[in-house]
Amino acid sequence: MSSAPVSCLPVNSKMSKAKKAIDEARESQNRELDLVDKNVSSFDEMSGLLNMLNVTRITLSHNKISTIPPGIANLINLEILNLANNQIEELPVSLSSMPKLRILNVSINRLNTLPRGFGAFPVLEVLDLSYNNLNEHTLPGNFFMMETLRALYLGDNDFEYLPKEIGNLKNLQILGLRDNDLLDLPREIGELVRLRELHIQNNRLTVLPPEIANLDLLGSKSILKMEENEWVQPIAEQYLLGISHVLDYIKTEAYRILYNRQSGGGKGPVPPRADKSKKASRQR
Amino acid sequence: MPPVTGVTPNPNMSLGNMFCSRCDEGFEPHEKIVNSNGELWHTQCFVCAQCFRAFQDGIFYEFEGRKYCERDFHVLFAPCCNKCGEFVIGRVIKAMAANWHPSCFRCELCSNELADCGFIRNQNRALCHECNAKVKAVGLGKYMCNKCHGIIDDAPLRFRGEVYHGYHFNCTSCNVELDSTAREVKSRPGFAANDMNELYCLRCHDKMGIPICGACRRPIEERVVTALGKHWHVEHFVCAKCEKPFLGHRHYEKRGLAYCETHYHQLFGNLCFVCNQVIGGDVFTALNKSWCVHHFACSVCDMKMTQKSKFYEYDEKPVCKKCYERFPNELRRRLRISHENTMKKTT
Repeated sequence: MSSAPVSCLPVNSKMSKAKKAIDEARESQNRELDLVDKNVSSFDEMSGLLNMLNVTRITLSHNKISTIPPGIANLINLEILNLANNQIEELPVSLSSMPKLRILNVSINRLNTLPRGFGAFPVLEVLDLSYNNLNEHTLPGNFFMMETLRALYLGDNDFEYLPKEIGNLKNLQILGLRDNDLLDLPREIGELVRLRELHIQNNRLTVLPPEIANLDLLGSKSILKMEENEWVQPIAEQYLLGISHVLDYIKTEAYRILYNRQSGGGKGPVPPRADKSKKASRQR
Repeated sequence: MPPVTGVTPNPNMSLGNMFCSRCDEGFEPHEKIVNSNGELWHTQCFVCAQCFRAFQDGIFYEFEGRKYCERDFHVLFAPCCNKCGEFVIGRVIKAMAANWHPSCFRCELCSNELADCGFIRNQNRALCHECNAKVKAVGLGKYMCNKCHGIIDDAPLRFRGEVYHGYHFNCTSCNVELDSTAREVKSRPGFAANDMNELYCLRCHDKMGIPICGACRRPIEERVVTALGKHWHVEHFVCAKCEKPFLGHRHYEKRGLAYCETHYHQLFGNLCFVCNQVIGGDVFTALNKSWCVHHFACSVCDMKMTQKSKFYEYDEKPVCKKCYERFPNELRRRLRISHENTMKKTT
């Protein structure tokens, strides 16, 4: 390295950090690439990365990347792609065709939409889209076709309603919807028989679909987070006693009647949305 | 009817009062006379009553006063064996409407000779008493005692590969008369199989401290597996889910039941959150999830963590301190407030 002619290239210290890590990985044949906090703002600074066909993991957290080149899909052996805390506004369609991609983390970015056909991932198991600017209208039509999903994180987004197609995700064990603007949950959530974790805290929910009581959310390995909502009085009261009381209560006939009345349009005034102007995902 | 030989002239008798037993004619002087048991014959008259030929080697058979050559006698009168088809000379066994050599008349099942021990006709077969009893017992769906050959009405006592009435035996230890509950203690190592087997009553057997299999409730004579506070036959210690024997492979216990690795993890969820594979070695458990040694890492930067690493909880995932501090300020503020609210609620 000492003999390299550095003077004629527009080298700055940040760029060389990423490049150095890539070169090291190539030499040591390391199939896992850690490029965390390397001040990278574009894939152009990481020449050769998209030719490393044998890499299985790339972690690019805490950088300043705004676009992902479609060529990322060349990395046919990639299983884990971690792009957390960047400035990504758009993802390439080609991402969804990656044959081995199992874990995709795009949390803490600036996504306003997802590309058409995004749901075509063949083997995706964990999808983290938390802390972006997504809502039910910006999800592509095939989003809920990802039947291999084990975990879907949509916290810190702008969902008001969750599409009923959520029921298609038969393998889902974790559903994160924390800090959205949810006003209602679809009954189809009760079809997610493997669900063990449901995060719905900090939304505008007033009622829970009774079908939720069919899920195993009380087991020793289960979690239901539901605080900070606009729960109707009986649910709020049961919640103070514990989650098991809530789930017992929503199984009752009395609750069924209450729920049907609520979803029949008898709701009170809609609570205001949370103020998100300070979210990092909104910054330009 | 033994064959009689003797073709000798009798010189002491006078020719005048000697007559041929067949033709009643006298004899010429110097004519050869056949004397057989005091009867006299012309040589040409001393012939087979059937074929009129001289007896070969002077051997003849007499039947009802007539003499026959060997061949004609057999053809006319001697019995043929129903088994080998040969003439029966000497002792004839008349049975099953046929004749037999004593050595040809055997039990159809065990092939023992039946001539002297008697037989029983069973579906047109000649059987010895033993085999007949066996056939009868099987027909009734019962066993035949291997000692008295009687039918065993109750449960049989099994001993050295055979079945018996229990009452033929006594306990090796306390001498009490046995029944079908008696236990056969198999040969010790170093002795041929069965040879050293002994019978014990249930009481004495249990006192000998022979382990009982927790699955089949039978004594364990060979390798003993001890698990879950019980003893098991190797082949009876099985996964509670797939029922395949562990055969020495690792098993996992949960609520008094044993499981194979696959089903333990399938049922009780020790799959790594990252690779979704069964965790073979050490398990990191946190936030209601499990990780294998390779994959316990910060969920934001994928930096590996150890047992001692401190981490923040974010959506029930681990986040290292460095990453948490790089979260947007407003997110950290909200997370802190939420955290404080939960603390308030639980206290």
